[in-house]
Amino acid sequence: MKPNFWIKICSKCFLCKYVRTSKDKTKLKYKVFNKIKLFCPICRAANYSLKKIETTHKIDFEQRYKIEIIKKTDINVVQNIKETNKKILQLLHKNHNRPSTISYYEEILTSSLRLDELKETKRNGKKIIGTFCIFVPEELIYACGAIPVRLCAGSYDTISYAEEVLPRDICPLIKSSFGFKILGLSYFELCDLVIIPTTCDGKKKLAEILNDMMPVWILELPNRKNLTKAKTFWLEEIRTLKEKLEKFTKIKITKENLKQAIKLLHQRQMIFRKLYQLKKTYPLLLNERDTLLIIQASFYDDIKRWIEKTNQLYNEVYSLTLDSKHLNSKFSTQNITTQPIKLLLTGAPIIWPNYKILNIIETTQATIVADELCSGVRSLYDTTEVDDWSTEGCLRALAYKYLLPSTCPCFTESNDRIDKLLQSIKDFSVDAVIYHSLRLCQLYDIEFYKIKTVLKNYGIPILKLHTDYSPEDTEQLKTRIEAFIEMLKNKNQLK
Amino acid sequence: MITAGIDIGSVTTKVVIIEKLNSKNYKILSQAISPTGCEPKKSAEETLKNALSKIGLSIKDLRYVISTGYGRRTIEFGNETITEITCCAKGTFWLCNNFGIKAKTIIDLGGQDTKIISLDDEGNVVDFVMNDKCAAGTGRFLEVMSNVIGINLDDFGTYYTNAKEPVKINSTCTVFAESEVISLIAQGKQKEDIIKGICDSIAERILNMLKQIEEKDVIFFCGGGAKNEGIKRALEEKLKKEIYTPQEPQFVVALGAAIIGTERYQNL
Repeated sequence: MKPNFWIKICSKCFLCKYVRTSKDKTKLKYKVFNKIKLFCPICRAANYSLKKIETTHKIDFEQRYKIEIIKKTDINVVQNIKETNKKILQLLHKNHNRPSTISYYEEILTSSLRLDELKETKRNGKKIIGTFCIFVPEELIYACGAIPVRLCAGSYDTISYAEEVLPRDICPLIKSSFGFKILGLSYFELCDLVIIPTTCDGKKKLAEILNDMMPVWILELPNRKNLTKAKTFWLEEIRTLKEKLEKFTKIKITKENLKQAIKLLHQRQMIFRKLYQLKKTYPLLLNERDTLLIIQASFYDDIKRWIEKTNQLYNEVYSLTLDSKHLNSKFSTQNITTQPIKLLLTGAPIIWPNYKILNIIETTQATIVADELCSGVRSLYDTTEVDDWSTEGCLRALAYKYLLPSTCPCFTESNDRIDKLLQSIKDFSVDAVIYHSLRLCQLYDIEFYKIKTVLKNYGIPILKLHTDYSPEDTEQLKTRIEAFIEMLKNKNQLK
Repeated sequence: MITAGIDIGSVTTKVVIIEKLNSKNYKILSQAISPTGCEPKKSAEETLKNALSKIGLSIKDLRYVISTGYGRRTIEFGNETITEITCCAKGTFWLCNNFGIKAKTIIDLGGQDTKIISLDDEGNVVDFVMNDKCAAGTGRFLEVMSNVIGINLDDFGTYYTNAKEPVKINSTCTVFAESEVISLIAQGKQKEDIIKGICDSIAERILNMLKQIEEKDVIFFCGGGAKNEGIKRALEEKLKKEIYTPQEPQFVVALGAAIIGTERYQNL
């Protein structure tokens, strides 16, 4: 019998709809006569794959006890956030040696420019997908025509609103991010969906609470990344994510669009690496605050524009290095008679506008030359290396890229992180390490002891700053940081 | 050459004026102390004037002024600001040399910060720990307790030695410990016993901080808290070794600042 006939019969069959829209019909065999009269043979043949999809597409939360979380409105918050941004920008502007292109990144982070653009794209039917941490493969999101936005927030102003739902004693990053949702502000409100990796207890439970307000997907991370079991499991998670995304956006992730997305992100990482390499030779070209500004603009911005602007920035900064006069004047304006103290920043994420400790450090006679933050260099450094461009090959490469080079303390072992730190210390000839630890972020806090001991054996001094987003301990931090730098200066002079 | 060190702490402002005699010897010309209050700038100026008037000098006679402590950036007439940690190390090193001891670890119990500083043989800071922003284990804790019991901090030492059945204060938080002490008073506990409990509790906090750095021998105890005999004894009991306290523990940081001032002036 001809397939047309069945399609007529099956017009009410929802399976057919699925088969007709998404499966290549020619591949199906029509020979088998269907004993179940409701379903045509096409559907019967498709039944197997559909079952698979159904099981994998089961919603992440059963929501048997859905609660209503009442949103807050407060006009003052918007004003407060604006003022905080303004204050920090003013501090940044005190440094006169910044490249001019940097104002673009400032605009992305502080103005509503990008937000309005995203609203417009959303109206045109594009999906906006929120992510947390750096474990969600952005390539997959781009491949199915959606736009990823990283929602990890650094704003102190929203915390008190989040505390009406979340407990006081969890990390400020989670509270701050959730605050944006409960207030209905910023990028969070635009997201059609949020993907949360299970990187810590806070994120896991945030997911459940958030799920009562919007669709949330969980990306389950293994605890031991080096196990073969774990790799297989993670690859399966990525595969499921791909299928879920296809269903959600109704766009199939093909070999071609996935390849395109991987290449696009590759391009982004490469331009950033170029900039980072330049910083290795000229640590004073860009300070850490500006580096984070550049990196964190990429959390929100249109990726193509970001690449273009960063290329521009690279060229601008590179031309400065050719002009040795400028470099000399840089030294003199900062009143550095001797070599500045070179610091490496590591630990819990520092996210705009939480520039508290950066502002203190960079107004002393020290400069942060490198960082090992998931909100910093780590988020743009690793590239996806594909050797087999089939869809499966791409997925495998993606899965490994997001899992294996990660130095997140959510894994049981910290060896990779220590390797990376020691490498950066060598590469950038770092004098000392600053360890940023957020209150109630236990993972980073626990890893401190081991890292401190290892680094001490290598003769690298380390200072732990245990703090949160609130500005109340600024003075204490100042004393601590200044004393540390005085100590290092003294040590350098003795050499 | 005459220099001054101004230590603007959270509770008191201290000024030390020194004169350099020869390469390693300084003479303390004058010192003054006054409460910081809510106008650190004014208090710093007045304390300095006070110290200067004792020896009949004026600000012009000072070659170098270094300000340190919490309010170090509030004054305008200083040549440089340096943190109290570096200054404390400097002051301790000089004082200890005079006494003929080599201090390796400093406990500085201040008004709102407690610092543990580790020194090398030349008196350079090798490592340091500071308490978190909370007031537990600081001078503020002592002040609050002294108010609750109604006994002057200077008398804590005598009460400490007279304790018969010392109580244990379990709360580290100042606010909780306050209500704990109030309930102990209500239970009819002896003041002596409570005071020993308070001193032990602070010593415990300091010991915890000591564990975070390599604790080396010869411990030097300074800052306003070192005036308190009770805490010194509690620390000695727990560490099972002698602790050195200078005659005027509050001036160590300001003295260190003045010494650094001389060094800086010579390097100019």
